[in-house]
This record gives sequence, C-alpha cells and structure tokens, in this order.
Amino acid sequence: MTNSMNNIEFVNDLVKGTVEVVKSEVIDKFQVSFEIKKNEVHLLLTKLKSAGWIQLSYLSAIDWLEENKFELIYILMNWEKPVYIQVRTKIDRENPVMDSILPIFGGAKYYEREAHEFFGIAFPGNPDYEKQLILEGWDDIPPLRKDFDPKAYSDKKFPQRDYPQDYSVKDPKESKQAKREARKQRAESLRGGKKQ
Amino acid sequence: MKSTKFTPASKLSKAEIDRKWWEVGDFFRRNSLWMLMYCTGCCAIELPPAMTSAYDMERLGMGPMATPRQADILLVSGYLSLKTLRRLIYTYEQMSEPRYVVALGSCPINGGIYHDSHAVINKLDQYIPVDVYVAGCMPNTESVMNGFVDLMDQIKRKTAVGWKKYHENNAWYKENQKTSLGEVVVHDEFHE
Repeated sequence: MTNSMNNIEFVNDLVKGTVEVVKSEVIDKFQVSFEIKKNEVHLLLTKLKSAGWIQLSYLSAIDWLEENKFELIYILMNWEKPVYIQVRTKIDRENPVMDSILPIFGGAKYYEREAHEFFGIAFPGNPDYEKQLILEGWDDIPPLRKDFDPKAYSDKKFPQRDYPQDYSVKDPKESKQAKREARKQRAESLRGGKKQ
Repeated sequence: MKSTKFTPASKLSKAEIDRKWWEVGDFFRRNSLWMLMYCTGCCAIELPPAMTSAYDMERLGMGPMATPRQADILLVSGYLSLKTLRRLIYTYEQMSEPRYVVALGSCPINGGIYHDSHAVINKLDQYIPVDVYVAGCMPNTESVMNGFVDLMDQIKRKTAVGWKKYHENNAWYKENQKTSLGEVVVHDEFHE
C-alpha cells in the first residue's frame, strides 16, 4: 500500500461500500472528498476510524447562503496510508443541528465549540458546545454567517477617527488620480506610435 | 587654589530645586527606556532590525523587558482585537509610572486594513492614552527609531504626559472601555 493511487481506490471502495455518496471528488493524489447524507456521517466516521483514519485533522463549516444550507467538513488523516479524507455533509440553515461526534473523535470538542460560536450550529451530545470560546461578550448573530455585515457592526460598535477637512484632498485641480490618468494616456499614445 | 565646589549665584527656592531634580530624573529616564512589547500584529517584524546590529537600539539605552512592572514603554505593534485590548488595558494598568505608550502602524491609529472587522478596534487612544504614533503599514525601521527619539524628546520637554491624562480623564477612558468591551474584567474558563 505504498502507492498513493492504490490508497485512493481503497478509500473509494471503502466509502462507497458503506454509505450512499451524493458527490465525490479526487482533489489530488493525497486528498479525496465525499459528500454524504447527514444521518450517515457517524456511521462513515466510525468505519473510517476502524480502517486507520484515526486523526481528525479539522472540522469546519461553510455557509451556503443561496442554497440556505450549512456544509460541515470533517477532515481525517491516516498515518499508514497518507490520504486525507474530507467527509462533507449539508445541514439545514434555519435550524442547524448536528449530533456531536465526540464519542468517535474526542478532539472534535473544541472544533464544535468554534463552529457553534462562529456559525450558530448546535451540537447536542457535546456537553460544552454552548460555552464561550473565542468571542467575549458577543452581542450579535454569529459573525461568520454570510448575512452578518462586519462593516455595519464595526461602525455601530467602535468609534471612527474623524479627520479635519484640510487634510483630505478634494480639490479636482490637485487630483493625483487625474494626473496619473493623463500620464498613463500619454505613455500609451507614445507606445502606440512606436509600434507602427 | 580655586574651589571646585559648585556655588549658585543666588539661593535656589524649593520649587527650583524640585525642578532641577526632575530634570535630572528625566535625563536618566529617557536614557534607560525599557519596553514591554505587546506584539500583536505584523509591525513587530520591524523590531528585530531595530534591536540588532542594523540600528542597535541599545545605544539609545533601550531594551526589552519581560514584565509590566519594570517596563517604561508599552509598545503596541499592530491591530488590537477586543480580546487583546482587554488584556492590554490590564497590562497598562500594572505598569509603574511614569509610563509611555508607543503605537506602531496604522492599525492603532484608525483600524488600518482591519477597519471593518467585527473584532478589531479602530482608535487606540479612546481606551488608553498614546504618546507617540508611528504611522505606516508597516512603518519602516527608520521611522520606528525616529518614533523612539521623538518620545525621548517629549520626555525632555515634559510633553509625554499620557499617564497623567489617564489619571485626569479616568472616568472618560473607563466609559469608553466599557462601551466597546462591555465589562473589562475577563470572565472565561481559564480565569476562574
């Protein structure tokens, strides 16, 4: 099993024999991704763990605003067969709940807390998922959701610096932009002349 | 033989003697500045060339210091998130007086490239007094050194009075801190 293409075939057979795969993609010879249904994630992760993918490298979420879905990505690593497996699943965005994978991968504890803090996804089964981890005293919708406007929040929450009028260049005669444009046009006209 | 003993032309008043002592104190103060480096952002990369043989900061009597109680300068380099700011205010309040704040880069001035971030503050001088700003993103090492020379000059001319302002306007600073940070005390699982 030293050949990495063999490894990917092995993974393909293993996953497709276990669960129904919605979409799969071979990203490169060390990385392969499978999109599966929400209720089969635990089954697949258990199977992969017993097949040697013992390390949960990452758990993250993506907000697909137009589809009205959150996508959860579990990335697993095997130290014997060097292939990263991405297990992807889409969950409802309105009421985002995903059962915790804490019994399978203990290391998911903090990843799940992070996903709850930044996306608002609930992880029943993880005793601490609602505890504050990174943001302190947060008072708005979770900040990595696509419908959160960081600029509006920043303007509302933090004072901006006012600059005196005379420091900003607003006189069109002094505009560097216009001068730059003129210089560029002249340079281009000269270049055009040379070509012919 | 002429005496080498210094005798002033007229008797000095107590206020004049005090002023002279402050001048002597300021001379030593500005020639032995120890910095507490709060390197949160990219501007910190300008400090190694400032400290090593290229500019050799130690010839100005400046050096790094590990603890806030023994430091004179609080060096804030780069962006400050709310979470960092809360700790920065703690650190600043632990420092002994007189204490000076030097802010590097455009982030402490107006938020810099993070001006629209949900977690990064836009004006540092709302929360703690800043004596010297070094502008630029990032400032080059010459301007960093120039900032320190400016600070020394300010100490000489007695205009580096941020720490006094913090006493005089403490209510204003506290209110600003509270508006943006909520309660300034840290409550999380690691501090309880």
